[in-house]
Order: sequence, then C-alpha cells, then structure tokens
Amino acid sequence: MTMQPLPIRTTNLCKTFDDPKRGVVHAVRDLNLECKEGEIFGLLGPNGAGKTTTLRMLSTILAPTSGEAEVGGVRVSDDPLEVRRRLGFLSGTTGLYPRLTAREILEYFGRLHGLDEAHLQARVEELLDTFTIRPFADGRCESLSTGQRQRVSIARAVLHDPPVLILDEPTTGLDILAASDMIDFIQSRKEAGTCVLFSTHILSEAERLCDRIGVIDQGRLLAVGSLEELRVQTGKEWLEDVFRALVEQAGSEAPADIPPAN
Amino acid sequence: MPTTRTLSPLLGALEVARKELTESLRDRATVIYAFVLPICMYPVLFWAILQGVMVVEGLQDRTETTLGIAAAGVPAEKHDTATEGLTHALSPPSEDPDEAAASSLKLIWAPESMDMEQAREWLAEDSEEDTEDAPDRPDAVLFLDPLTILHLSTDSTSNLASERARSRLAAHASALRLEAADRAGLEAADLDPISVSTVDLAGRGAKGAVVLASLLPLLLVVMAVMGSFFPAVDLTAGEKERGTAETTLLVPLARSSIITGKVLAVGALAMSATALSLFALSLSAEHLLSGLPVEVDISISIPTIAVIGAIPLAFFFSLFVSAALTACASLAATFKEGQALLGPVQMVFILPAMVGIIPGIQLTYPMALIPVINVVLAFRAMLMGQPLYGQYCVTALALAFYAWLALRLALHLLSRESVLLAGKTLPLSRLLKILRGTASTR
Repeated sequence: MTMQPLPIRTTNLCKTFDDPKRGVVHAVRDLNLECKEGEIFGLLGPNGAGKTTTLRMLSTILAPTSGEAEVGGVRVSDDPLEVRRRLGFLSGTTGLYPRLTAREILEYFGRLHGLDEAHLQARVEELLDTFTIRPFADGRCESLSTGQRQRVSIARAVLHDPPVLILDEPTTGLDILAASDMIDFIQSRKEAGTCVLFSTHILSEAERLCDRIGVIDQGRLLAVGSLEELRVQTGKEWLEDVFRALVEQAGSEAPADIPPAN
Repeated sequence: MPTTRTLSPLLGALEVARKELTESLRDRATVIYAFVLPICMYPVLFWAILQGVMVVEGLQDRTETTLGIAAAGVPAEKHDTATEGLTHALSPPSEDPDEAAASSLKLIWAPESMDMEQAREWLAEDSEEDTEDAPDRPDAVLFLDPLTILHLSTDSTSNLASERARSRLAAHASALRLEAADRAGLEAADLDPISVSTVDLAGRGAKGAVVLASLLPLLLVVMAVMGSFFPAVDLTAGEKERGTAETTLLVPLARSSIITGKVLAVGALAMSATALSLFALSLSAEHLLSGLPVEVDISISIPTIAVIGAIPLAFFFSLFVSAALTACASLAATFKEGQALLGPVQMVFILPAMVGIIPGIQLTYPMALIPVINVVLAFRAMLMGQPLYGQYCVTALALAFYAWLALRLALHLLSRESVLLAGKTLPLSRLLKILRGTASTR
C-alpha cells in the first residue's frame, strides 16, 4: 500500500529578505507544517508574523531561501508549474483585471490551466451559477462591488477544481455579508474533501472554522493543534488567551540576535 | 479535477499576449497613442518636421562648396582671362578668414569645352560618387551662355553652392548694370537686367525621396516608442498598482512565457503604431504638400522595396523598444511613477534618431551595429534607393540581437522578487544590483 502524499507539507522552510534599512530580515524561520486532505488549517498570527510569506512560498510566488515546501508531494522548487496547477490561491493582493469581464477572466485562467474549450465553457457556466455571478458576468470588473469581486475571485481560484486551497486573510476588507459568504464557502470546500490552508488574525474565524490551528509569530511556528489541544497546552480557555500565552512563552525563549520579520 | 492539458510555453505566451492586448485595447491612453495619434497627429508632425528640415538646410553656412564653370567654345587656356571679372565676383577675396570660410565657393573649370547637355552630365553623373574619390566634382555648375546655374535640390551642398553663386551673380550683375547705366547716362532701371536662370536636375521622385528619407526614419522610431510607452507601463507598473501582479503569477505558466507574452503584446501595439503612421503618411503626403504655401515640385511615394525592407527592421526594432521599455517600467510601483521613469528612457531612443535628419551620415558596417542609429540610417538609405544590402542585413541582425538582449533583461528583471513585489519604485541606478540578486521565481 502506497502512502498518499500530504496536500501541504513544509520542512524547515525559511525566507529572508535583504532590506536596505534593516539588513537581513528573517520573515519565516524553520517552519514545519503538515495539512491533511479535507482539513481546514488556520495559520493564526499578528500582522508581520510571516503568514503571508509562508503562503506566498507555498503558492510559488516567492522562492524559499532554504527548506522545502510541497503541495501534493510536488516540491515548489522542483516543479512550480505543477504546484500552481494543484492549488487555488486567493489573497487581498490577487486582484481582478479591471478591464476584463468576470467571464473573460474565468476563460483566461481556464485556458491557461489547459481546459479544452467545451469543458471550459461548461465549467464557466457552472461557476457563474454556483457563485451567483451571472447577473454581472459580462460587465467589466472595475465596475463591480467588493462583494461581487470577491465572488469572482473565488470562482477564479477554484476554476480548475484544485485539491488544495490557500487563502490569505480571505475576509479582510469584506463587509459582514461578504465575509459570511466566504466562511460558508470555506466550509463547503471541506465537505468537498479539499485541503484548505488559510491565514487570519481574526480569532473568531479560526475558532469557528479550523480543524487545527498553527500559531505563528516572528516567522516561527509556536504551536500546532486543535483548539482543544492548544487549550490543554496553555491551560487557557479562550483563544485570545491561548494565543497570548503562546506568544509570551515564545518571546521569553526567542534568541535576541535575529531581527524580527516585518 | 477537470481534464486538463499542459500548454506549450509558446501557446501560453500567446494566450497571455491575447489577454494583455484585450486589456490594453480597453485602455483609453493606449488606444490614443497606438492608433489615434499616429493618424491624427501625423499631419502636424509632418508639417513641423518639413519646416525644420528647410530651416536646417538654410543654416548650413559653414559648408565649403564648389562651383563648376562650363562654357561652349572657350578653350581651357583662355578660361582665366575670359572670365576674370566673373571669377572675382563669385569668389571675392576676404581678409577675414571666418567670413571667407563661411561663404566659401571654390571655382573649378570644366576640363574642356562643354555644351549645356554635357554640363548637365558633368554634374549629375559625378554626384553619385564619393567626394574623396572625385576631387573635381562640382556641387553645382554655372553654364555661361545662357547664364544658367545647374544644381541638384536633393543634395543640400549643391543647393548651398547654387544659392551662393546666384546671390553673388545677382550682386555682380547689379554692379555691372549700374556701371553701364552710368557710362551711358541712363537710369539703371532703363537697362534690361542680366538674367540668371536656375535649373534643378533632380527629378520629382528623387526630391520626394529626400523628404521621405528625412521624415520617415525619425517617425519610425518615434511611433515605435510612443506606441509601446503606455502598454509597457500599464502591463508592469500598472499591474502592480491595480493589485493584479500576483494574480498573473498564479497562472500555470513559466515566468518566461508570461513576460514574453507581455512583451509581445507591447510589441504588437508598437508595430501597429508604426505601421499606421507609415500608412497615414503614404495616404496624405501628396495632399499635404500641395497644401503648403510655397510651391513644392516633388513627388511622394514610398518605394515598394523600401516597404518590404522596412518590415523586418520595424519588427525587430519594435520588439527591442518594447522589451527595453517593459523592463524599465517594471521597476516602477505605480502607473504615474512608471511614466516618470520612462520619460528619460524614451529619449535614449528618440535623440539618436535625430541623426536621421543630418545630411551626409551614411550607413556603414560599424554604423549598422549601433542600435537606433542603424535602423534610422538603413531606412533612410532604403528610401533613397541605395543598394547597401550587406549593411541592411547587418542592421537587421544587430536589431534582432538587441531585441533578444532587451527581452533577456526584461526576463531577468521581472523574475526578481525584489522587482515583482516591490512596494515602491526602484531607481534605475539599482538596475545592476537587482540583476546581481539571486531571489527569483520560475
């Protein structure tokens, strides 16, 4: 019996940046992470903790300085194109082309993912209905509301039905209804067996959605486990207190010679 | 997962180019610069440059010129004594060396007695040859009976020689007339003036070719730069500003295909601007010339061979400009900063193109290796009908090499994380440092 590769795995993943003012900045340090099929994994941390950098390395936007990141058993450094085929990525910085329509964007990504024309059209029509995009599908994206854009972005991310979905602070900037739609969408992907890795600094989101939570601060993964396991580990009841306890504990142990990540 | 197939890098690049073109063609500034400007602004540019050429030619007062003197029935040994007064009038001695240099008109006698037809041949035949190889070649010819100045309006030095001879003859004739009138006790106005006629030996087509050769090479460069300016900024800095740079990086294509697709889209718009400007010129040139306030006896038509020859030159040059501007614009973080960054860069292309309107510079093999100058001189030579096939080939190859080099630069820059995801505009001075950096994505 062969072992199924994990949807997401990182091994001693590191990323450093050269900053003209601050020198070498360690954004991510020796990060080891594993996400399973059908799991919602939340990466929880304050701003500048290294969440976005980690997700960008997994999605091949950034190259790791050292260590490895794998998606579905494929190393990002070996075959980034195959990794991009296997995941859907969504963040606040993955905007929509303002002068194209929603339909054109979906067709464009579909063609680049190699969907044949007949299959592509059927898939686009399906997504237009699934995410209620049809009423504004042929208008330019620059004229869409934030909520409408978010729906088009989600459709773009899942167009090729990826087994892995990576979402970077997916509810940031959304109004209550759009954020609620996003949370429903993440839950629906779990039911479809997709592995979802998402970052957030909103504790209630993590508490509500995640099977497991990884707490990250200053580029280091401080703890991983279910909410219950983290409660036991820290002896705290509320996630805010759990998070604070882990960060304080790590702060007292952290080496002083490494500049923090931005 | 749905059934998918892997796109080849070329198909992927073409798909990216198609999408980028669709987006660019929906941008008003791009449409104006790539399509509207080449057609609508063209007549104004044409007229302004024509005026400029005329002014430049009028200011060539430091050029040394030679005037051939030919006459029928005057033996060579009698030349000096027969025309002593005329010689003095045409080339007066001057104590001021600067003044003498500024108005230099060296006189050379025809080696033998000539009729008008032979005088025409003397000027026209030798004009095709190199000056150094034919030291006795006159820039213009003064035929003595009837007093006629022969010149080639397509040759600026010939024009200058003709103009100097004409004005000095007029002054000499006026003095003679006054002297004769005084001797006869008459008013000068009562005597018939001595008439000097001027004959231009250049054909209408040759004259048109000179005008075209002064204008078109410069236009080719200007339109290629203008046509690629906005798309280059839009598809790099504009994409960063709109927050779609990362979206583009998520497509399952190699970075090289994505960047090649962008450069192809920019290049297509640059070529479109260039082609439209040439097309507009060919349609409107005759009409515009007929509308000028002065009579211009020239015929404008672009030789077919020049059009065919210009295609590969325009293709490689547009790619070269597009890749270079795209690479530079990628350093900017916003559209506005991209425009500011490319302002000086576009002058790097346009200023050398001014060489195209300087008379006398020829397309040599070394010149064919200098970017921008080579395309201007090659296109100019084609329009003038000069058969410099070796130099044309070297020019095309050099441009293809520079286009490849610029594309490599764009690929290097746009693969750098420090460029792709920079939150602020990077100065051009950091170009080398960025290229030496290691963090790049595929």
